[in-house]
Amino acid sequence: MKPYQVLSFIAITMAVLGALYWAFPEGKLLKTEHLADSEPVIDIDTLAEFPVFAEAEDTIVPETPKPVIPKVVVDSTTDSRIFLQSFYASLAESSERKIRVIHYGDSQIEEDRMTQQIRETLQARYGGKGVGLMPLAQTIPTLTVKQELRMNGRYTMPANGPRRYIVYSFKRDQRADGLYGPMGQVAVMNDSLVSGSEDVTAICKPIVKTALYERWQVFADSSVHYTFAGDTVQLSGKGSVYGLSQESKTGIIVDNVPMRGCLGIVFTKIDSEQLRTFYEKENVRLIIMQFGGNAIPSNQNPGTISAIVKGLREQVQYLRACAPEASILFIGPSDMLTQTDGEWQTYPMVPYMDKLLRKMALEENIAYFSLFRWMGGAGSMMRWQEVGLAGSDGVHFHRSGARKAGNAVVNWILNGPMDQ
Amino acid sequence: MVNDQMVNFLHHIFAFDAAHPLLFTQFYFWAFFALVYALFALIMDRVPDSLGNKKLHLRNVYLMFVSWFFYYKTSGLFLLILLFVTLSDWLIARQIHKSIIDNRESKIATAWLCLSVAIDLGFLAYFKYAYFFTDAFNDLFGTSYTIVDKIILPVGISFYIFQVISYTADVYRGRIQPVKNILDFGFYVSFFSQLVAGPIVRAEEFIPQLYKPFRLSRRAFGIAVFWIINGLAKKIIMSDFLAVNLIDRVFDNPLLFSGFENLFALFAYSLQVYADFSGYTDIAIGVAMLMGFYLPMNFNSPYKSQNPQEFWRRWHMSLGRWLKTYLYIPLGGNRSIGFGTYFWVTVIALVSASLTGWWLGIMIPYAVLIVSMVLVPRLLKDTNHLKLFYSNLNSFITQVLGGLWHGASWNFIIWGGINGIGMIVEKIWRPMNWHVRFVLTTLLTFGLCAADYTTNLPVWRLFAVWMAIIWVGTSIRYIYFLCEGAENKFTKAMSTAWAILQTFVFITFTRLFFRSSSNLDPATANEVAWATAKNMVNQIGGAWSNAIIPDFLWSYRWVVAMFVAGMVIHWLPTNWKRRYRLWFSAMPIWAIVIAVCIAIAVIYQFVTADVQPFIYFQF
Repeated sequence: MKPYQVLSFIAITMAVLGALYWAFPEGKLLKTEHLADSEPVIDIDTLAEFPVFAEAEDTIVPETPKPVIPKVVVDSTTDSRIFLQSFYASLAESSERKIRVIHYGDSQIEEDRMTQQIRETLQARYGGKGVGLMPLAQTIPTLTVKQELRMNGRYTMPANGPRRYIVYSFKRDQRADGLYGPMGQVAVMNDSLVSGSEDVTAICKPIVKTALYERWQVFADSSVHYTFAGDTVQLSGKGSVYGLSQESKTGIIVDNVPMRGCLGIVFTKIDSEQLRTFYEKENVRLIIMQFGGNAIPSNQNPGTISAIVKGLREQVQYLRACAPEASILFIGPSDMLTQTDGEWQTYPMVPYMDKLLRKMALEENIAYFSLFRWMGGAGSMMRWQEVGLAGSDGVHFHRSGARKAGNAVVNWILNGPMDQ
Repeated sequence: MVNDQMVNFLHHIFAFDAAHPLLFTQFYFWAFFALVYALFALIMDRVPDSLGNKKLHLRNVYLMFVSWFFYYKTSGLFLLILLFVTLSDWLIARQIHKSIIDNRESKIATAWLCLSVAIDLGFLAYFKYAYFFTDAFNDLFGTSYTIVDKIILPVGISFYIFQVISYTADVYRGRIQPVKNILDFGFYVSFFSQLVAGPIVRAEEFIPQLYKPFRLSRRAFGIAVFWIINGLAKKIIMSDFLAVNLIDRVFDNPLLFSGFENLFALFAYSLQVYADFSGYTDIAIGVAMLMGFYLPMNFNSPYKSQNPQEFWRRWHMSLGRWLKTYLYIPLGGNRSIGFGTYFWVTVIALVSASLTGWWLGIMIPYAVLIVSMVLVPRLLKDTNHLKLFYSNLNSFITQVLGGLWHGASWNFIIWGGINGIGMIVEKIWRPMNWHVRFVLTTLLTFGLCAADYTTNLPVWRLFAVWMAIIWVGTSIRYIYFLCEGAENKFTKAMSTAWAILQTFVFITFTRLFFRSSSNLDPATANEVAWATAKNMVNQIGGAWSNAIIPDFLWSYRWVVAMFVAGMVIHWLPTNWKRRYRLWFSAMPIWAIVIAVCIAIAVIYQFVTADVQPFIYFQF
């Protein structure tokens, strides 16, 4: 063939494709929804602290006052950290007693990500040692403690360890009595015991200096017997183990409680008496809830997002009723990406959910940290990916990103209006 | 205002933008190619043939400048490196040729060759291995030297550096005459079609084409178009779709997924790597063909290989041939071992020991190896065994260095090493008789099962399960052998399928170490690669759950379907593929136009497809 014939072929093909493009300007033969316009992007490096941003919404007036803490009237410029007063007040006692912070969240905080920075900063300032709560069978290794499980002396993969019931898992892994404990998961020793029994050994070695601890605590049924030797806990008997804890007698203990794939609407399934007892006895003064991300990919409808936020509001109310002394901080979802027309961009519902969550938080008189806005708004995840702070899935932070986010959260907490 | 827009437009067209390199998968490239081809056609059709070589020279110069622009758009001022090595190798090759012809003085020619290789590898070493060697040096001598914060790797440097080395070496060996005109040589080095991702075209394959007139038969045209569409489909449908919807997220965070999901993602990754790389080179081959240049085949259905050695003859063939010609054979091949072999064994041992810290664990086998390298040639009388010894040793070194070529981190050395070991084991295994094979697999299976039972560690479980599968296969074949069953079509097909499957599984598991962060700092790359490999092994060997398999297969049905389709197409008989390629190329032009448009419309649907949301099956 002659080159001009090849050229004609190229030209004709491009012309036909051009015509096709003209006929289907969207590029797609099947129509899909369009994403929301991007919001202005803020430089993440300039945001060491979280700004108090003004909502363009109407002034939010709280609904019926809740029984425990009188509602505070807020407006669009309210710095939601005023709702951390109870936690701030408790810090004065940190040298005399233990103050517990419990960080619930979705897969964004797995491996002790983000929590680690919150813990390290708080412990550096107010004392305290140890990583706090850990499940007996740790299926997700953390960055701070190397955990190993042995059944009758044999190394056992955690998934093959004692029967686990998990409030945020499938129905088959749930229990009817709601006795999941403060971590939302429980390992039951000798669950289907017919004859004989299995002894369980958990070896939990701190792998970072800041995870060194003073003492052990085991949260378990009284029918479970346990002994400690160094980093090892030996357990026997039949019953539920709700968590092991490496901690200190005084100072701050920060628990990392990741709930994979969870929307956050699970706390009401956990027995309230059990939660209340734990929160009170352990002096839990700050509950951090970091949810919302799992609602995003499969929900493109504002109505569904509103319903989910309503569900989360109920969880906030439930936890507050269980822990009346504790402040609550809600951390919204990060920026999250999806691919539309071959381009990565923010899921359309992220800004909407962020806005609704902040509104809900202010109405419920709890603090709210917008991870989404702190990152820089819509599209910021792409820049996080470019600089290696986030994974290629456009959803999860890398460890470096989690460090940055964790530090931002704890600095924001500590720079709040403590004296008010 | 209009002026500003025009300036912006021109800036966008002509200036380097790191965020928008010229890639085969983007419209901008094809617009660029259409324009380039328009002028190319003008030169080829309008410049009279009577001008002979001048016409070809004009074509070559034109394509060289176009390639430089292409490279500038892709890599910015790194173009200067390309120009520098072009000039230096052209000059040095002339000196080599002159030394050989005029003086018959090979030492001077050798010195020139060494200088050329040193310059070329010096660039490669700086851009690709500076972090790696600094780390290794610091580990070795307890120093703490640092280099600049971040070295950006010039696109395609590994490819064109190997090309210029092949040119100088071929001139040195008298296989080709040096290119008289530097502009022609510049075109060979920088031809945009294969500049970024190969194939690595050896001088003796390409230089003669510089002086041949344009020739493109009707069938070759059809085949070129087929390669381009085939490559785009591989790259976008197979590679990118699988990566975005499953593989990336699993490799990013294996602990979020069950053992089965990890295993599936690992196999899918095997397909993805192939589809990505071979897709890109298919396009390169097609584009070059349209301009009348014929590049060597780079992938020949590698997952049809029946053993690791064959795999390396089918996978990235241009690199394999390059390594064989310019590394394996100079090391001695299967004929001897010399200074090169000792040198590289020592370097590999030192680097391995310093990076792992296992000085004793590596230096003892190293010492044993050195002693055997000295003694074996003296003690072994059987030439065949001696050949096997030389060949294994030199091919192992070639594999490890081939691994290092892929990336400057420890995990690539492990990957190369495992491949080298796999090749050696298979070579030793192949001639064994059935009794020995059966006894060995039985012992190994029992040993691994015992290790699994004793330790209960996922890694042993993984080995034990795999070995048990091999044992079952070996036992069936052993029983058949004992029953004196005759080899027939069926048994031959089964035996081939078994070998292909085992090779595919082996190669797939080596990929645990293949995927690494693009970060050039080996410390980070190693940490990420190790954590990924360890977590994936733990999940596959320990967090397996049969109950979730149906849920996973259903929820990820498009991903699964794409993987299955990809493997089925890959495993189609070669003559089928040849037949449908020829059938495509024989279609009338108008039908090819329609087929191309339909194919691109379908491919575009995958570009724009919604991303599979996260679904968790394990908590």
